[in-house]
Amino acid sequence: MIRRALLVAAREGRADRRQPDGLVAAATFVAALVLLESVVVGPQVARASSVAPALYWIALLFAAIVIAMRSFERELEDDAIDAVLALPGGRDALYAGKLIALLGTLAVVAVGGGVLEIALLDLDIALPGHLLLAAALGVVALPAVVILDVALTLRLRARAALVPVLALPVLVPQLVAATNATALALEGDPSGSLAWSGLLLAIALVYAVLGLTIVPTAIE
Amino acid sequence: MITTAFPRTIPMRIRPALAPASVVAALVATAMALVWAPTDAVQGDVQRVMYVHVPSAWLAYLAFLVVFVASVGWLWSKRPVFDAIAVASAEIGVLFTGLTLIAGSIWAKPTWGVWWTWEPRLLTTAVMFVMYVGYLLLRSLSLDLERRATRSAVAGIVAVVNVPIVHLSVTWMNALHQLPSVLRPGGPALDDRMLATLIVGVVAFTILYAWMLAARVDLERARQDRVLGSLLLKRAAGA
Amino acid sequence: MPVMQSTAAIARAGAPVPSARLDGAVVALGDRVILRGVAIEVLPGITVLRGPNGSGKTTALRALAGLVPLLRGSVDVAGDLLYLGHRPQLVHGLTARENLAFFAAFRERRADVGVPLRSWGLGADADRPVEQLSAGQRRRAALARIESERCDILLLDEPFAELDDEAVARLQRALRDSAGGGAAVLIASHGHADLDRDARRVYLMHDGEVQG
Repeated sequence: MIRRALLVAAREGRADRRQPDGLVAAATFVAALVLLESVVVGPQVARASSVAPALYWIALLFAAIVIAMRSFERELEDDAIDAVLALPGGRDALYAGKLIALLGTLAVVAVGGGVLEIALLDLDIALPGHLLLAAALGVVALPAVVILDVALTLRLRARAALVPVLALPVLVPQLVAATNATALALEGDPSGSLAWSGLLLAIALVYAVLGLTIVPTAIE
Repeated sequence: MITTAFPRTIPMRIRPALAPASVVAALVATAMALVWAPTDAVQGDVQRVMYVHVPSAWLAYLAFLVVFVASVGWLWSKRPVFDAIAVASAEIGVLFTGLTLIAGSIWAKPTWGVWWTWEPRLLTTAVMFVMYVGYLLLRSLSLDLERRATRSAVAGIVAVVNVPIVHLSVTWMNALHQLPSVLRPGGPALDDRMLATLIVGVVAFTILYAWMLAARVDLERARQDRVLGSLLLKRAAGA
Repeated sequence: MPVMQSTAAIARAGAPVPSARLDGAVVALGDRVILRGVAIEVLPGITVLRGPNGSGKTTALRALAGLVPLLRGSVDVAGDLLYLGHRPQLVHGLTARENLAFFAAFRERRADVGVPLRSWGLGADADRPVEQLSAGQRRRAALARIESERCDILLLDEPFAELDDEAVARLQRALRDSAGGGAAVLIASHGHADLDRDARRVYLMHDGEVQG
């Protein structure tokens, strides 16, 4: 099962390297949002520890949706998804593999967007280690729900609008936890940041298990 | 595979009693809420909104719990009756979540001076509302019975799992930001007659729910039968 | 021409007889009925599914491959199943070789996918991303999966479409070899009447039903 999921993820990664449009679109989106934020609210407000992390995670959330939708779009070209679904254990592997692949791509976007935000807004980081942990767990907590919702809306009309509508409310806890974990790491509250990071990890586990249990049968 | 042999949702003997029972219960609850229950010493008559607000909220949560159970039931057995229960309960749940939010706002304005406050319970209810509107949207965009049922079941299960997580996360956030906790409907200081009225209200709303659910499930079953029935007729004619 | 490996005989010596069955299958899309109680049995050898466009051949194959949910009836598959739809099902961004290697690795087959790809006429082009290949080349790359995955049940939807004469002959040989090796092969096609000679059974579909 893990071997097959990794095969799907590797296939995705390879295709992504040759056609990096999803990654590029997502990274550009995050960069544009960071710039926009500073322009709209002014750099002094934008760099506040209550504002910068919130914006960062909202940007990453939409980036995750963009990447996941592009990934399934590629799957629909030439009915490529049918070949995977018809393989023994293909459904589970597809869900898990897409999850792993999104995690990888999102991590790249997260690092790029994070560095950009820290540099542009000249953010003071009180606890770099905690910040790194919060960012890593935030990236881990998003994909399960995003892949789930993109898979549920596969081949439906208006899915570009439907995915955010379905995903955003479900991702409220992830957004709250990631934002607070990051903000507290910037401010220098180690135990607070760790507590939120722990919640992120718990949420990630809940949705990964739930997704693997019920989503594969719903992919068609 | 979908089977047509299904149990009726609510036993036939109780079914005819639901409509009159919910009318009587609603009348009793209304009378108690408006006349019998004492006026609140601090808030005045406005506090009587509670008798709508709290039962609606209870009903919303009950309805979504039923969506969850029915969704699991569908994924487990693929019996169409479970999908019918899920959609019926989700629609009722959305209706009463909306009612909860509106009644809550009406109550909040004169009491707290604001229509809305960022308090965990309110926030959770609002998120829940958006989530199930999305659920109904997903349903309306899917066409065939089996796929729609399976996809909605997944969404229905995720939504219920999400509600406590949302509540936990926003409670944590509030504790951290030390927002004032203003919302204390009832509590231990509730007058006996107020409590009795509230209980009757909850019972009345629950009977109403059962009635609405049964009616809506029947409607959905008729719709399913039309699709499945036409399949069988065409098949018989072609054979 | 490389020697075709007899598919099932080598891979599945002593395994149960491969088979795929559809029984009383009813499939609807929205309010439209696509299959009205279809029964098809695919056993070792070649089975042909005929019928005009829109008669439900594709849906019957997809139902056997587990890609469409049934409203009624059952699917029963014993063996490794390879489903080739009328589109090549190769993911864009990957080369033909990488696509086939993925499938082979997924099924834990250790065959070199280069051999079948070359024998289907994709030498140098096997290492170009599939979106740069012609429709016919993609088609042939997909058909090379018959040999790179060596499954004992083959479901092929209009496999002769977009193939030149040489490739048609190549495919017919591949199918006969597979069937001769003990594989159960189902071909949905409305042309190539000569297939029927080799077939152990020919089903005729019309308007969602099997007529013979």
